[in-house]
Parts: sequence; structure tokens; C-alpha cells
Amino acid sequence: MTLERRILAVPTINDDPPDFDRLFRLWSQVNDDFLEVEFNFTRCRFLQHNAVAFLGGIARLIEYRGGTAKFNWDTLQDNIQGNLIQNGFMGCFSESRGPWVGNSIPYQEYPTKSKENIINYLKVKWLGRGWVNVSQGLCNAIVGTVWEIYENAFEHGISPIGVFCCGQHYPQLHLLKLCVLDFGVGIPSSVRWFKKKETVSASVALRWAFRPGTTTKPNGMGRGMGLDLLKEFIKLNQGELEVYSHEGYALIREGQERYLDRSTFFEGTAVNFTFKCDESYYHLASEEHNDNLF
Amino acid sequence: MKIDVHTLIGDDCITLDDGQKVHDQILPELKAGHPVELDFEGVGVFASPFFNAAFGQLLKDLPGDDLNRLITIDNLNPVGMSVLKRVIENSKKYYSDPKYRRIVNKVLDEQAANG
Repeated sequence: MTLERRILAVPTINDDPPDFDRLFRLWSQVNDDFLEVEFNFTRCRFLQHNAVAFLGGIARLIEYRGGTAKFNWDTLQDNIQGNLIQNGFMGCFSESRGPWVGNSIPYQEYPTKSKENIINYLKVKWLGRGWVNVSQGLCNAIVGTVWEIYENAFEHGISPIGVFCCGQHYPQLHLLKLCVLDFGVGIPSSVRWFKKKETVSASVALRWAFRPGTTTKPNGMGRGMGLDLLKEFIKLNQGELEVYSHEGYALIREGQERYLDRSTFFEGTAVNFTFKCDESYYHLASEEHNDNLF
Repeated sequence: MKIDVHTLIGDDCITLDDGQKVHDQILPELKAGHPVELDFEGVGVFASPFFNAAFGQLLKDLPGDDLNRLITIDNLNPVGMSVLKRVIENSKKYYSDPKYRRIVNKVLDEQAANG
């Protein structure tokens, strides 16, 4: 089998919607079987955490489809190369040294659901680095909330190559970011299949998925609450949540909830979180027990 | 029956599989009319899939009044309690209200019509 060779230029990528468009255009160029892809970074001046997770994901997707993916490390600027060594990305795709401890939250890929590894990542490598001024109770609450996204990705996403994530700490802004993405069927596809409505737009499907009590699992137990809980937590605690799936885009933050249809398509689901690094922003649940739960 | 959830599951009660473990232990006892006490001391992280599997699906087999009478939950932290309450609220709708799905369908249709 001869592989079709493609060289893709990776541009500068931050984590705003146009940056995700750039990533989704890269994905659309490698969404075929039997490709030999080289990623060239000559035009790239910066790669944010979402780009790192995404590039790792599409490299694995190319391999899953019988192709090969090669990153041309020689074309990297020194600052980007340092970051990719620090967050472990280069170590995953070459025999590079690293990672080391810096402001990057490591690049990770989970081919299958691994509770222990994911929880350790969230507790230790993401929140447990001393840069987030939160109590153990709040740390646990954030980890439980973010877990809902991993659970959704594995349970609903049906991603053949698993889930990918990477994060970054921004000390000047007191922000902590994390991007979690899968290359599965996407939330709109799950909702359309469940609702037997092919005409539902991606934005309407996303809005539906964030409603309380919705589920796309036909034999469910009233499941699918994760996104609703996540939304509530983000709005209450001055965080920000962005979800990209198919043409759908959801933006959730305090006082704002928007669902839009965009022009760029991505078949999987990308979730980008922003959390504050200080406990004073947070309001934890204070539910007391009562005797009539059911 | 008394279950030490931390011993059975560990620090984190978050997955469907772990919830199913709890469910499989308590369902026969509850069906037999025996009280069940679950102690969550030492468990830190909670997520809805665990509670859905452990408790949400109990309403498929037993009425809520029986579950309220037979189940005792100890040392569940406020965040966990908040998630559990939402899960049960959702599950009650799912199992008891045959119109629920039709309402959700209607809402979806309205949203689609309004763009």
C-alpha cells in the first residue's frame, strides 16, 4: 500500500474560536485513510494547550487510519519546542527528553477509560501543583465536575482512538486552562440519533445536551446529567466552558449561555475549560442530608 | 447491611462501573425489605455516573417510599449530596413520568422552529 504524502503547515494557534477553526481545517485535511503526513511548524509562532491536544489527537487518528504522522521538529521555534518538551508532547512522538515541571499541564492521551490515570492527572498534574489556591474539598469538587466531560467522551463519544487533553497555567492571569477532546461521533450526532431527527441543527442539539436530565443513552438510567452539572458549576464559579462539536459551539460563563452554528465542521467534540485559581471565586454546594431523597 | 463505600470503591465515586458494584450489593437486600446503610467517610470525589448506577436505577425496581425507609446515607459531603439529589430528581422523572420524554421532544421541536 502506497501512502499519499501530505505536508501540513501548522499556523499560530491560540484558543479563540478562529483558532479552533484552524485546527478543524487541519483535521479536515487528514481525515482520509492511508496518509503520510508531515506537520511543518515554520509559520507557527505559538501553540496553545488546545492545539497541543488536537495535534496529538490527529496524529493518532492518522495512524489509526493506516497512515503515518511525523512532526518536523526542526521547524519549531525554540520557545514552542521548549513547551512541547515540557508538556511531554515531544516525548510521546519522539525520543525527546522531558517532560519537566513548568506552567504546562502535561499532554495526555487515553486510548481507553482509565479512572485512576485520569483522576491522578486532574488531582496531581492539573490542580495539585501549588498554583491553585483551593482547599481539598474544592479540588475534589472541580475534579468530579471535570470528570463528567471525560465520562461523556468515553460513554457517548465512541472515539476509536480515545480522549486527548492538555492544559496550561497562566500565572499573570490567575487562570488554569484545560482542553479535553475526542474524535468520536460528536454530540449533535448522538442527539440526532437518539431523537430520530436528522434535521436538528448542531446548536440546538448542544443546547438540548446541556438541559437537565437529557440523555442519549436509550437504555439509560436517567443519565446524561453531566453536562448540566458542569454548566451549573462553571456559571456559579466564574469559569468558562466552550464546546465545539460538528458546527455547534456552546459558550458558558457567568450570566451568559450561547449556542451557535458555525461554518467550520469537526466531527468529534472539543471542550475548553477556564478556571480561576483562587478559592474566593468559588461557591460550593451546601446541600444537607434529608430523609426523603427518593 | 452496612457498606463502607471507601473500602468497596476507594477515594473516588465517579464511574458507572463502581456505581454498579454498589447497586448489585444493595438491590437484593432492598428487595428483601432489609435496611441498607452506606457510609461515605473518606470518599472525596463524586460524579453523576456513579450515583446514576448506584441509586438512580433503584427506582426501576422499588418505589421511592420504600427506598426512603430502607436506605441510610452517612458522611456524604455536601458536594456529593448535591450531585446525588440531582441524580435522584432526574431519575424520578425518568422512571415515573411517562410524559417526560414527550415534553423533552416538544421542547426540542420548539427550539428547532425558533432557530
